[in-house]
Amino acid sequence: MRVLLVDDEEELVSTLAERLAMRGIEASWVSDYRSALDIVEHQVFDIALLDVRLPEMNGLELKRLLEERCPAMKFIFLTGHGSEEDFRACSAESGRDYYLIKPVQIEVLVAKLNEIFQQ
Amino acid sequence: MSSNQDDAGTLGLNFFGSMTASISHEVKNVLAIVNENAGLLEDLALLAEKGRPLSPERLKTLAENIHRQVQRADGIIRRLNRFAHSTHEPAAATDLCEIFDFTAALVARLAAMKGVTITIVNQHPVPMKVRPFVLENLLWICLKNLFAVTQGNQTVALATEDLGDQVVITLQLGEGLPVAEIGAQTASEGQSLLAALRAELSTDPEHNLIRLQMPHMQDQ
Repeated sequence: MRVLLVDDEEELVSTLAERLAMRGIEASWVSDYRSALDIVEHQVFDIALLDVRLPEMNGLELKRLLEERCPAMKFIFLTGHGSEEDFRACSAESGRDYYLIKPVQIEVLVAKLNEIFQQ
Repeated sequence: MSSNQDDAGTLGLNFFGSMTASISHEVKNVLAIVNENAGLLEDLALLAEKGRPLSPERLKTLAENIHRQVQRADGIIRRLNRFAHSTHEPAAATDLCEIFDFTAALVARLAAMKGVTITIVNQHPVPMKVRPFVLENLLWICLKNLFAVTQGNQTVALATEDLGDQVVITLQLGEGLPVAEIGAQTASEGQSLLAALRAELSTDPEHNLIRLQMPHMQDQ
C-alpha cells in the first residue's frame, strides 16, 4: 500500500510517514497542493490523506484535481475540528465517512487505510 | 444602545468568533504534532524493547520537537489571552505599529490559507488614543474582503503616518486586485466601526491603496 500525506504542518506529516513505515505502510508526504499535484505525476499512490484546510486550495478541491489525474486513488480527509460542515463536505466527497479528526490515533488511521485498501 | 453600537457589537462578535475558530485550529495542529512525536517515542521504545538500538540523538531531537511545539502553543494562547482582554479595554494611548503587529499575528494563519503575506512598513512608533479591538476589527474586515477576492501570492503592506491631529493608515495591496470593490465592501460592512473611530475610508485604485484617516485622539 502506498499512501500520500498532504498537510501544511510538515512535522506532522513527516512523523506520521515514519510511524506508518514502521507498520509496513509506504508513505510519502508533501506540504502544499502544488507538490501534491507534482508528486502524483511521478509516483503512484493508492490512498491520499488530505488535510481539509490547506493553504491556497482546500483539501476537497485538491481531491477533485488528484482524482482527475489518478482515477483509482482513494481519499481520507483530515480535519482539525469535527464541525458538522466539515463532516458533510468530507462525507459527500469521499462517498463514505472517510475523515479523521486531529490528533489522529495511529492504529485508527492504519485500520482505516487497510479497510479502504482492501475494498 | 444605539444602532451603531449594536452593529459594532455584532461585528465584534463575528470578529471574535472568526479569530477564536482560527486559533483553535492552530492549537489542534500543535496537539496533532505533539501526539505524533509522543507516538514515535513510544514506537521507538517498543522497538528498543525488542532489541533494536535506540539512538540518544534521536530521542533528543524528538524531545526538542515537543518542546518547540509547547513554545508555539504558548505563543498562540498568549495571543488568544491578549485578544480576549482587548474586547473590554477602554481607549488608551497605543502604538499603531503594535496594533498592526498584533493583527498580523492574529490573522496570519487565515492569510496563509489564502496565500497572503502581511508586512508592516513603519519602523518607528505612531502613538494614538484608540480602542485596539475596534481598530483591529476594522482592519480584519478589510483583510477579510481582500481574502475573498485574492487568487493567492499577494502581499499587503500596512503603514501609518502621523499628521498631527489626524492619523492615516494605508493598506498597500498587490497588483490586479479590485481595490475600489474591497474598499466599498469594507466601508459598507464596517460602517459602525468607522463611525466609532470617526474615520473616513478612501481608495486609490491607481496606486492599489486603501486609506483610513481618523482623528488622533479617540474618545470611544
